[in-house]
Amino acid sequence: MDEVATKIIEILRKNMKDPSKAVALETPLSELEIESLDLAVIVFDIEDTFGIEIPYNANEEVEAFATVGSVVDRVKGIIAESKASGAAA
Amino acid sequence: MVTGQGVVTPLGTGVDKFWAAMQRSDCGIREVQSFDTEDLYITIAGEVPDFDPRERLQSKQLLLADKYSQYAGCAAHEAVTQAKLEYPIKDSDSYRAACIIGSGVGGLTTLEFSYKMLFKENKRATHPLTLLKAIGSSASAHVSIEYGIKGPTFGLVSACATATHSIGMTYRMIREGLVDVGLAGAAEASLNWGATRAWQAMRVLSPDGLWPFAKKRNGTVLAEGAGILMLEEYERAKDRGAPILAELMGYGMTADAADMVNPSIDGASTAMQQALDDSGLAPSDIDYINAHGTGTMVNDINETRAIKRVFGNAANKLSISSTKSMHGHCLGAGGGIEAVAAIKAIGENYVPPTAGLDEPDPECDLDYTANTGKAREVNYAMSNSFAFGGLNAVLVFGPPPA
Repeated sequence: MDEVATKIIEILRKNMKDPSKAVALETPLSELEIESLDLAVIVFDIEDTFGIEIPYNANEEVEAFATVGSVVDRVKGIIAESKASGAAA
Repeated sequence: MVTGQGVVTPLGTGVDKFWAAMQRSDCGIREVQSFDTEDLYITIAGEVPDFDPRERLQSKQLLLADKYSQYAGCAAHEAVTQAKLEYPIKDSDSYRAACIIGSGVGGLTTLEFSYKMLFKENKRATHPLTLLKAIGSSASAHVSIEYGIKGPTFGLVSACATATHSIGMTYRMIREGLVDVGLAGAAEASLNWGATRAWQAMRVLSPDGLWPFAKKRNGTVLAEGAGILMLEEYERAKDRGAPILAELMGYGMTADAADMVNPSIDGASTAMQQALDDSGLAPSDIDYINAHGTGTMVNDINETRAIKRVFGNAANKLSISSTKSMHGHCLGAGGGIEAVAAIKAIGENYVPPTAGLDEPDPECDLDYTANTGKAREVNYAMSNSFAFGGLNAVLVFGPPPA
């Protein structure tokens, strides 16, 4: 597992009721007993850790928040985008 | 009895403007004007347009107060004027008058400004009035000074149920004989950069509009304003020939005791049931519900289910609407503004609409008065407020006694 994934799993663990539970990339977030407010805290923590902004709305079903792996992919995508726009500027 | 009412809203200041705008299905949600939305992805809100405190407020103290207190002062002035109450209230009556005007967060914008001065501009001191402007009881204190109210006076806090709890508690004080008359409601003016940041981080705001019960709904929209009622014991109101707009007949209040953000059907439905029981009415007597209807995914489904639980088959005959679709989510003040909408609905036999409801969520399948208001007989109306923390308050209004 790469650094981004490791950091994200670390953040997820901090917000899980039972942090000893196994977490893999294919684990759905719903299995981690993460509720809507936890997710807002997790997104905040991820934004802070990676210095990015994630457009996430608790009122919408967001694909990117289905599994641990999809969160990792989304974050990597945003990091790449922000690097690209930074290079362009 | 309700003998006066006053509002400050994103649809305008004063009940007449507010009501006329809702009859036109106007929307008071616009791009933010009052602060720089730099670095925010939420850039819309329900701001009060063209607010000039000098139009209604004479006292120098109120003109120096936080905007939330000024909104309260303006709404209270309208209510007192309509009620034809002489003021300052004469000494013998003054201790029998209450002033319960709350706010979700009080003078938050004053605090933000002063912290900016201290931490960013390196000023050595804050403005001397900072503390008095910021405290959540300053609106009630200012209004008590304006009218010479010397009985129970304080601000009450329950986030987005603040005004409803304030009105309900004042009603109970009158009913229990503690006071004869009271100004009750709430005011909110917490739209600023820092607060929007904080709300944005909760991920519950819509970036483009507030559409309660609609399939497309994607969150709520912050707004500001004030809604205040003049409540009065019946015999006293009758004796002095006050206009009686409506009767406040029932009040219910519960807490979910479950979750800070996810509402429960139990808490909401029990509060509605309590208000109904308190009023002595049957579910089928209610014609109109001004719903809490925040436009969030969870509230609107939960509220629909709670209404169905309380009303059973009668739910299908109800007219429901969320006027937040037009004035936005005025937070602590919301219940006061919405109580006025419910009282006007009774007075005018007209149900204001839920604007922007082009396609309802299949799970929200009641009559929400989509897009345009509707003339219909409204004798009894309910107003729901369900706040963060699971704090619920419900009022039931009826026509003036014959």
